[in-house]
Amino acid sequence: MNAEPVSIAAASTATPGLAIDGLAVAYGGQRVIENLSLTIEQGCFFTLLGPSGCGKTTLLRTIAGFIQAAEGRLLFGGSDVTRLPPHRRNIGMVFQDYALFPDKTVFDNVAYGLRARRVDEATIRRKVAQSLDHVGLGHLAARHPAALSGGQRQRVALARALVIEPQLLLMDEPLSNLDAKLRVQVREVITELQREAGITTIFVTHDQDEALAMSDRIGVMNRGRLEQVGPPSAIYREPATGYVADFVGAANLVKVTLPAAAAIGPVMVPLPGGVVTARAPATVPAGHALLVARPEEISLTRDGEGLTGTVRRRQYLGGRTTYKVELPEGLTLAVDLHGDRHDAFQPGDLVRLGFDPLRTLVLAS
Amino acid sequence: MMARAGSVWFWLSAAMLVVLAVFLVYPLFNIVTGSFGTGSRSGWSVLLAEPRYLQAVTNTVMLGIAVTATTVVIAVPLAYVAARYDFPGKSVVAILPLITLVIPEVISAQTWLMMLGNNGVFTRYLADHGIDLPSFYGWPGLIIALTFSYYTYVYIGTVAAIRGFDSQLEEAAQSLGTSPVASRLRVMLPVIMPAVLASALLVFTLVVGNFATATILGGRVPLLSVLTYQAAVAESGADPVMQSTLASVSIGLVMLVLFVQRWIVSRGRHEVVQGRGAKAARMRGLSGLGIGVAAGIIVVISLLPLATLVAGAFTRARGPVMRWGDWTTANLERLFNNAPEPLFNSLVYAGTATVVSIAFSTLVSYLIVKKRNLLTPALDYITALPLALSGTAIGIGLVMSFNAGWLPLTGTAGIIVLAYIVRRLPFGIRNASSTLYNVPNSIEEASISLGVPPVSSFLRVVLPLMAPAIAAAAVLTWTTTVAELSASIIVYSGGRETLPIQIYKLIDSGLMAQASAYGLVLIVVILLPIIVATRVFRIDLFSSRA
Ligand SMILES: Nc1ncnc2c1ncn2[C@@H]1O[C@H](COP(=O)(O)OP(=O)(O)OP(=O)(O)O)[C@@H](O)[C@H]1O
Ligand SMILES: [Mg+2]
Repeated sequence: MNAEPVSIAAASTATPGLAIDGLAVAYGGQRVIENLSLTIEQGCFFTLLGPSGCGKTTLLRTIAGFIQAAEGRLLFGGSDVTRLPPHRRNIGMVFQDYALFPDKTVFDNVAYGLRARRVDEATIRRKVAQSLDHVGLGHLAARHPAALSGGQRQRVALARALVIEPQLLLMDEPLSNLDAKLRVQVREVITELQREAGITTIFVTHDQDEALAMSDRIGVMNRGRLEQVGPPSAIYREPATGYVADFVGAANLVKVTLPAAAAIGPVMVPLPGGVVTARAPATVPAGHALLVARPEEISLTRDGEGLTGTVRRRQYLGGRTTYKVELPEGLTLAVDLHGDRHDAFQPGDLVRLGFDPLRTLVLAS
Repeated sequence: MMARAGSVWFWLSAAMLVVLAVFLVYPLFNIVTGSFGTGSRSGWSVLLAEPRYLQAVTNTVMLGIAVTATTVVIAVPLAYVAARYDFPGKSVVAILPLITLVIPEVISAQTWLMMLGNNGVFTRYLADHGIDLPSFYGWPGLIIALTFSYYTYVYIGTVAAIRGFDSQLEEAAQSLGTSPVASRLRVMLPVIMPAVLASALLVFTLVVGNFATATILGGRVPLLSVLTYQAAVAESGADPVMQSTLASVSIGLVMLVLFVQRWIVSRGRHEVVQGRGAKAARMRGLSGLGIGVAAGIIVVISLLPLATLVAGAFTRARGPVMRWGDWTTANLERLFNNAPEPLFNSLVYAGTATVVSIAFSTLVSYLIVKKRNLLTPALDYITALPLALSGTAIGIGLVMSFNAGWLPLTGTAGIIVLAYIVRRLPFGIRNASSTLYNVPNSIEEASISLGVPPVSSFLRVVLPLMAPAIAAAAVLTWTTTVAELSASIIVYSGGRETLPIQIYKLIDSGLMAQASAYGLVLIVVILLPIIVATRVFRIDLFSSRA
């Protein structure tokens, strides 16, 4: 997942698939989304990632038109849809609870949007059959949703949203009702279909694995704002804030004090028990700052270079071992060891901690 | 989904509020303001000055308490036994809920009279054998007839609560060292108590509002509903001020009880444990037989009115004198040949009311549940108002409001239909809302996202999902409106008699055989849709009945 190319994004046209400009959304008087701007390239698979209650659903439903923005503009492929009612926005939506019409067959569910567009029956039959085959459900066209498994329902929902060839595909946690194994399977179906159709897609999840695995770009949300937007590898490796670092993957976040302002590049950071070399991806003012180190980016040795600490706890996880290492002044860091003899250390052992000067980051707090 | 101010849904909500204001709030307002009278004579000072009125209020409250108590005493053990045990004849107990639906109160009161009244068949029979029964009119008749009219409400509520009760709690109590009976009392009773109390209070409000039984069996016991009726329609001595005052008293009384009920229900909600219900234990031998017999007696008594009615309809009568044993079809022939109008009137009025009521409550429920906006709370509260209004009060309010003036409805069929619709409104809304809460918003949004405008999305995906519930609601609306008496008897005018009104008039003249014939027709009219719905269309009438 490290070096995923972002090529699709820039491909077809210069007009973005979706542009959001200064968006604000309120429930009653309470602002839930404030001054949010975002541009998503045509054909991009964009994931909104964030904790519960941060406003992902609200943003998605505002894009769909079910919620009216208090401020700001929405553009689909260059045209302003801010005032357009949802049924005229030409969107495909996949709902968390599938929202299949229980009284209609699988075929009629998928045909529904085409019938609304007054497509002739012959074309409908062909398109529906085609799209059901695509999701591997051609043989179940005559069934009712109640007679399908969860994964099958999800795929019907997907076919129903895609068959209308929407300008924008919106999915709100479409996988959260599936068990772990199915999630991975349906995940692949979704990405494959999306790539093929080249439809600009916004996918909402609070599962970071899902976000990292599926997306061209990820937007990490926090309390109604976008903290960072970027490709998965950048989000993981170069989190712009401590919040992003903490939310996407595990991270040791250490409050530190910089004696002087740091320019972009290597910085010497004082820690309890020594100084480590880290990297500032952006300028950091003097004073309080945040040191970010992923557990797997810290190395442990018995007598090499680095800070001294004591192993306090050890959790053997098969392919790796997680240690809690205590440094002076009560600072405790999590360290993940992989590879050969990753389980070699025991509680009570004195160890040296090595920090990768490129992967350890210093951020403004 | 939140509907914005200014959207179609908002304006639709506003329009519905206007309709409700005109046909519900305005009449209510007229009742209350009317009670203060004109000039120096306030209804409230008359109420306090005349012992007859205060006596009626006290009597009504006492009757309410008495019947509430007797219904609980009969229904709770019956419900417990039905929910927890299998015994011979249990399937008969299962038809209990139907009985209240099928037997209109006016018929139940009438048949009690035919059995135990001064000329009653049992009274006569026992008198011939030298046993003089005390008079059935007054307290004994009121309590017995009302108990058997209303105990099923407590029965249904209690059975549901016991079925929902998690029997593991009981086992837990036993494992902690309490005996089975004690653990049942200590653990189950508190949990089902809110449901029992809520349905008992419902019975209380029904007793307060009851008109048919009160006026037919009340004898010399003055009751609020009867005095209200008399103040409203008495040929001589109609008293417009007192009709408002007495109606206001009954509204206040019922509202008070409804608030207590709501409080109990809201407090009890967190105690409703969704658990594993107990399996019914099989009861054999003597105890099983005993329970079967006891339950059987209750069912038989509940069915007695029906049997009496059928017998009466086919019994020859000379004036008020029934010639029991002398069978004839003359009563029914006379009905169909000479005076079938009440049947047609009932069919037309109740049919119209059912259609309008279902359409209106579906629309309003949809607005309340799915299109919440600034006006929703108002819609919610106003549509619940008729729960506090007895039929008599609704009739009085409508007559006061639409007698003359800009919308003169008195004397038309419209005001009868209107009375039916207003009485039925809260139940229709409750029915439709409970189904709508089960239709996820996402279904509708999915349709909209696929390009179908909101209104047609509702028609194409939501309405079909509501259809079975709407059909059930239509049947229930039909059965209750076609049996309606207390409001329609106030608003109707000559020539517009419905079946219940006709029955009431015949009872009043002592013509029991004719009354029975109309009663039989009424029962058939009620039963037919129920049978068609449950047998042909397999609709579950009780699934969404609160
Ligand atoms: N109808 C509503 N009325 C008022 N506040 C709401 C409403 N819907 C959501 N909110 C509030 O808006 C905020 C954002 O909610 P939203 O549903 O967008 O979160 P989310 O990111 O989708 O969360 P989750 O991951 O749990 O689905 C929350 O604080 C929530 O309480
Ligand atoms: Mg959400």
